[in-house]
Amino acid sequence: MTNQNINVALIGNPNTGKTSVFNQLTGLNQQVGNYPGITVEKKIGFCKLPNNVKANILDLPGTYSLNASSIDENVVIELLLNKNDKLYPNVALVVTDVENLKRNLLLFTQIKDLEIPTILVINMADRMKFKGITLDIPYLEEHLKTKIALISSRKGFGIDELKKLIVSYKTISSEPCLNASSIDPEYFDTLRKTFPNQLLYKLWLVITQDVNFLNLDRNEIRSSFTKSHSDLKRLQQKETIKRYQFINDVLKEGLKIDTTIAKDFRSKLDRVLTHKVWGYVIFFLILFVIFQSIFEWSKIPMDFIDGTFATLSTLAAEELPAGVLTNLISQGIIPGIGGILIFIPQIAFLFMFISILEESGYMSRVVFLMDKIMRKFGLSGKSVVPLISGTACAIPAIMATRNIENWKERLITILVTPFTTCSARLPVYAIIIALVIPDNRVFGFLNMQGMTLMLLYLLGFGMAIFSAYILNKILKIKGKTYFVVEMPNYKLPLFKNVGINVIEKTKAFIFGAGKIILAISIVLWFLASYGPGEKFNNAETIVTEKTKNNPLPEAEFENAVASQKLENSYIGLMGKAIEPAISPLGYDWKIGIAIISSFAAREVFVGTLATIYSVGGSDNEVTIKNKMAAEINPVTGEKIFNFASGISLLLFYAFALQCASTLAVTKKETNSWKWPAGQLIFMSGFAYVVALIAYQILK
Amino acid sequence: MDIQEIIAFIALGIALAFLIKKFFFKKRKSDKNCGSGDDCGCN
Repeated sequence: MTNQNINVALIGNPNTGKTSVFNQLTGLNQQVGNYPGITVEKKIGFCKLPNNVKANILDLPGTYSLNASSIDENVVIELLLNKNDKLYPNVALVVTDVENLKRNLLLFTQIKDLEIPTILVINMADRMKFKGITLDIPYLEEHLKTKIALISSRKGFGIDELKKLIVSYKTISSEPCLNASSIDPEYFDTLRKTFPNQLLYKLWLVITQDVNFLNLDRNEIRSSFTKSHSDLKRLQQKETIKRYQFINDVLKEGLKIDTTIAKDFRSKLDRVLTHKVWGYVIFFLILFVIFQSIFEWSKIPMDFIDGTFATLSTLAAEELPAGVLTNLISQGIIPGIGGILIFIPQIAFLFMFISILEESGYMSRVVFLMDKIMRKFGLSGKSVVPLISGTACAIPAIMATRNIENWKERLITILVTPFTTCSARLPVYAIIIALVIPDNRVFGFLNMQGMTLMLLYLLGFGMAIFSAYILNKILKIKGKTYFVVEMPNYKLPLFKNVGINVIEKTKAFIFGAGKIILAISIVLWFLASYGPGEKFNNAETIVTEKTKNNPLPEAEFENAVASQKLENSYIGLMGKAIEPAISPLGYDWKIGIAIISSFAAREVFVGTLATIYSVGGSDNEVTIKNKMAAEINPVTGEKIFNFASGISLLLFYAFALQCASTLAVTKKETNSWKWPAGQLIFMSGFAYVVALIAYQILK
Repeated sequence: MDIQEIIAFIALGIALAFLIKKFFFKKRKSDKNCGSGDDCGCN
């Protein structure tokens, strides 16, 4: 970091448009994990400000106050208390919603009392005229001892003024809003005398929160200033009351609301969307439209990508000099990359819809709606967020459980989230559905393939809920739970925010999964192209011998040799070894190889099949889908991917825990191998049994 | 062994090294830093 770089922390209550402000300031210049939807961890972006100042913008998790009740909120406090942290802010931006200013200012006053230069960002200012709100900015600036940026992150106004304020952060008063001593003068006086060089409000936070502070151990301070838990709680309540008294006094003059102007569209819409019957009907219909659209809209771009990679593969084989490397490129690398890129359209559409639901404010209504149902199954309304986030990836979804305060609810959510259909399952579903479910329409508009996809998503969700119910009965962990959810205003989703989200998530999927798939494709190609023993090395002689009485045409002879080689290659022998275990499920040894290789990551399944069929398949069928559709079981003469084996495979992937990273993150979050081991055994065993039953019934 | 074969085997070595590093020698990240990079162990 150069001397000119300043650290800017974005802090605020959930749903104040903090992430929109972050996007406005940083654009695509962000370093984010592959987290879907909501902010659960730190996100850093970079921003060029006036006067050649550069800023690292840190988007911190949403928090209601500095009285942390979850791990997420602790992140904010730990950063603000640790001046040695390389991301310790030079200036804090507290983002507030103009319609919820009173509640949002509680956090502002707390951060101000840490004596960090703080700018009050009043967001959603474009809604002021609809709500009849007027603000006396000079009055508020004077009494809150800060600078105010009135902005609309959605409309993009006020951002330039905000950037100018950030640059001039040194001119902002760091005077606190509340005199901390007024909470308990005697107690705080003793504190001040014992730690004369420390900021009083920081000491108070160290005492009341579960954080360490510089070289002072929390227990050391606490032992010197013994207060019972109930006394501390009482003082915290007193602090909150004092802060609200201060906020009320300031807003009495600084904020005016003319209710006659306000148009209450929100409450009318809320009544319908959270209705005990219509709420669920609407949610179901929205899901239905989403999954229909994912399949319908993705068809053309997917066919285009599939065709392009098939052409590239043929071109590479024809134009490059013959040899091992050319074969690796045309049969291993190109089909492997094609096997993942083909799913970009579906993944992008899925994230686009999720992002629109979150941006519009509808997702919070879903959380509220589902809370009643979730409780019956031992989950909390907050479990909906990880379960919905799980549609992208189980890893960030499991990490998103950190804001569930009750340990039992959190543990259950962690254990059942991998049942949710993640984006890595989507490629597997998409290719199998396209192969075994007819592209027919019911009633002229219901696409069968889209319906199947939706059913698989619901199946995953249903299984998660059912497992939660069982776990709730089995686990004997006690604890109280509270449910608070913010109902943000309805907003038209911003194209920019949705776009950034779609690009980030798709990019993370491609570059995260793509590297592994490419590496596995290379390894698989070698395993499929080399083999031990005579049967592999003398494949041509063996086929010639077999067909000497009935010679084959040249093309068929080459295919027969390729099949002979593949069957006796290293990968072929591995597949043959596990075939007895998977043949009752309707799978052959090639699918077995794909299942083994996709244990690390599910999405490798399609790439593996693409590589295997490229090495040993017919040249007439060039696309992955066509190659799989043309595959015949030599024993039965039936198609390998028929309705029974296809449904069996879909069910296997719906329930199996084919993801090494999920196991790792479950271990990390539960701090024990016991839970991920149980997760793996239960999910894999259940998947096997269900797939077996399905195939045996349908065959 | 011709040049094509040598390059292909180098590619195999790189692929194997990458996979081993990814799944067996994953760098532990602290809670604080997770999310600030573009790789949180997912996929």
